[in-house]
Amino acid sequence: MDSRGGKITVALVVVCVLLGGGYVVYAALGPSQTTTGASPSAAEAAGVPVMVRAVDPVKPTLNGRVFVVEDGRVVRRSHDLACERVYYAAGWGICMGVAPSGVDYTATIFNSRFEPLHTLTLLGLPSRARVSADGRYGAMTVFVAGDSYLSSPTAFSTRTTILDMKSGEQIGQLEQFEVTKDGTPFDAVDFNFWGITFSPTDSNTFYATLATGDHHYLVEGDVNSRSMHVLRDGVECPSLSPNGTQIAFKSRIGDENRWHVHVLDVAGLKDHPVAEQRSIDDQVEWLDDKTLVYSDGENVYTAPADGSGESQLLVKDATSPVRLESRSGA
Amino acid sequence: MYQVEASKALLKPRLWARRTSRLRVPRNVVMLGTVSLLTDVSSEMVATVLPMYLIFSLGASPLVFGAIDGTYRGAAALVQVLSGFTSDRWRRHKEVAGLGYGLSALGKVALVTAGSTIGGVGAIVAVDRVGKGIRTAPRDALISLSSAKDKLATSFGVHRAMDSVGAMLGPLVAFGILFLAPARFDAVFVVSTLFAVLGLAVLVLNVEGRPQRAPREGAPPRLRAALSLLKDRSFAPLLLAAAGLSIASVSDALIYVGLQRTIDFDPALFPLLYVMTAISFMALAIPVGQLADRVGKVPVLLAGQALLFVVYGVLLMSSVGYLALAVCLVALGGYFAATEGVMTALAGAVLPERLQASGIGILITVVSLGRLVSSLAFGALWFAIGLQSAVLIFAACLILALALSAPLLFRAQRLALDG
Repeated sequence: MDSRGGKITVALVVVCVLLGGGYVVYAALGPSQTTTGASPSAAEAAGVPVMVRAVDPVKPTLNGRVFVVEDGRVVRRSHDLACERVYYAAGWGICMGVAPSGVDYTATIFNSRFEPLHTLTLLGLPSRARVSADGRYGAMTVFVAGDSYLSSPTAFSTRTTILDMKSGEQIGQLEQFEVTKDGTPFDAVDFNFWGITFSPTDSNTFYATLATGDHHYLVEGDVNSRSMHVLRDGVECPSLSPNGTQIAFKSRIGDENRWHVHVLDVAGLKDHPVAEQRSIDDQVEWLDDKTLVYSDGENVYTAPADGSGESQLLVKDATSPVRLESRSGA
Repeated sequence: MYQVEASKALLKPRLWARRTSRLRVPRNVVMLGTVSLLTDVSSEMVATVLPMYLIFSLGASPLVFGAIDGTYRGAAALVQVLSGFTSDRWRRHKEVAGLGYGLSALGKVALVTAGSTIGGVGAIVAVDRVGKGIRTAPRDALISLSSAKDKLATSFGVHRAMDSVGAMLGPLVAFGILFLAPARFDAVFVVSTLFAVLGLAVLVLNVEGRPQRAPREGAPPRLRAALSLLKDRSFAPLLLAAAGLSIASVSDALIYVGLQRTIDFDPALFPLLYVMTAISFMALAIPVGQLADRVGKVPVLLAGQALLFVVYGVLLMSSVGYLALAVCLVALGGYFAATEGVMTALAGAVLPERLQASGIGILITVVSLGRLVSSLAFGALWFAIGLQSAVLIFAACLILALALSAPLLFRAQRLALDG
């Protein structure tokens, strides 16, 4: 049995090497899966141009193209970017996605002509991206795979980094910043940070979410002093309004992974829900000081920030909306 | 001419003899190691690219699978005990292990042909975990039954070293394919399937299902006999010691997170921690196994556990240089090399031949439950009183666990040698 088994095994190895090698060569010579084509359809006339990433409900391989939509039509599109998350401000953009090879996750910093300037390797799955209003800093959150060290089904780990947009260099990870709560140092093994938003008037000031235990704290931080302090509980993915007086965020419903969109005053830290009924897992964007824009993962909607009225479809088959200044160049 | 020929003929067997006497491992163990190596290449290839595949091709978030993972970890524990007992009862360790390897291979085939929906991929991941749960206990029983009692630790060392070579090669093969054929995940899945099929083929064609120590006579064991292992006078102390030691040991994932907090190094280098530990483990698994067979499994096991003090010491340092980090990772690799495989080898020596897979299944389950308790406790302590205090408490617990488990383990080993 030994020698016959051995011979068959050797024959199988040869067959497998030929089959596998042949298939890899065939795949290497064949067309790679490129993403072209899909285009979002603008449903409503937007007063200001909005950058979005397209999703194709039928062929997900076509997801990720970046478009600029204005007055109900596509006015610009990128030819090379394919993003899971996109953000843009003052001539500087971040596109977080899968590298063209499919080997790992990367972030591309691009300019107003969608030209790539820097490419960074990400430590995990893209989640949130922001650029400060002056284009100086960028912020990215990723989910880190295989890091769910508390062994609970809902446990996951995130990394949030702040970048210098011009050089593409990392300035710091929020995990390394000092945190205080009620004036005293605050640290725990299960700290996770996500969803940075920069102050529109001073890009050194930012807000973010600090999750620990069952809490999701809103923290206010300072890039220069590498520090943060806790403001209040129950705020995820904060987003400052253009005038800096209000923060839109997602508010968790019970213990589930479902969220309602709320808005709070920076001054009083009191919040109210907006008229959106769907569960929204997104970092909300502001179209102007009175209007929110966000995605449910399939389409882009708007809703009044004061809680009145109802939500309206803005762009079909799109996610990751970004407000653009009318003549910002993108 | 004649003389040259003759001296060659003399030299050859002597060289061969010297080499084999240094590492005489039963052919069956090497074949089982090959099966694990090939299967691990296959699984790790898929595990490496799956998150990217989900986003890139299916437009889905890998987070969907977090919940699946948690659910099946619990199910896998139950499957391990059941498959262990079933293979003892039927005396078909090879066939039951084959079912586990076969399920994983089928999963890879399904990925190639039907892995284009999220539900499909979820089902395939689940099937893969069940397959892993089914095969572990009967495979370890086969390793044990193929080896003489005084060579068990070497056999497990060889198997574990080969297994981790596969786990290291898998990602490299996957990245190599994607480098040659960008974004062609189908090519990764096809090659992964071929590795899985080859692993299964080596098992079917080259592994002896009724090895040396396999029981040939007597009634098939009943479930009650398997359960009475829990109060067996030599196996029960071993289980107790294994449970205590695993609860007092901080899990490797938490050690890495702790190191990352302690050392302010580039997070992009984080995967290097795993790689360094894996290399240290691979290099040490076989020599440590040999040492355990020579000087006794229990002293080596206890010394390996004590290596954790080096790791704890580094975690307690206020600033850690690269030298201390390297020492820490080598110690961590040595700790793994001297504990899991050696403990299984000890179980193999202690357990009656007819209940090998049942006992090993119970041992694996107890150890993984112990690790879960340890992770939850360490996480809670870290949260409540900070990393350094938590490490100090765990170090104290480990001293206690070592002091309590040493007599239990020596007792188990002595009874095994007597009986």
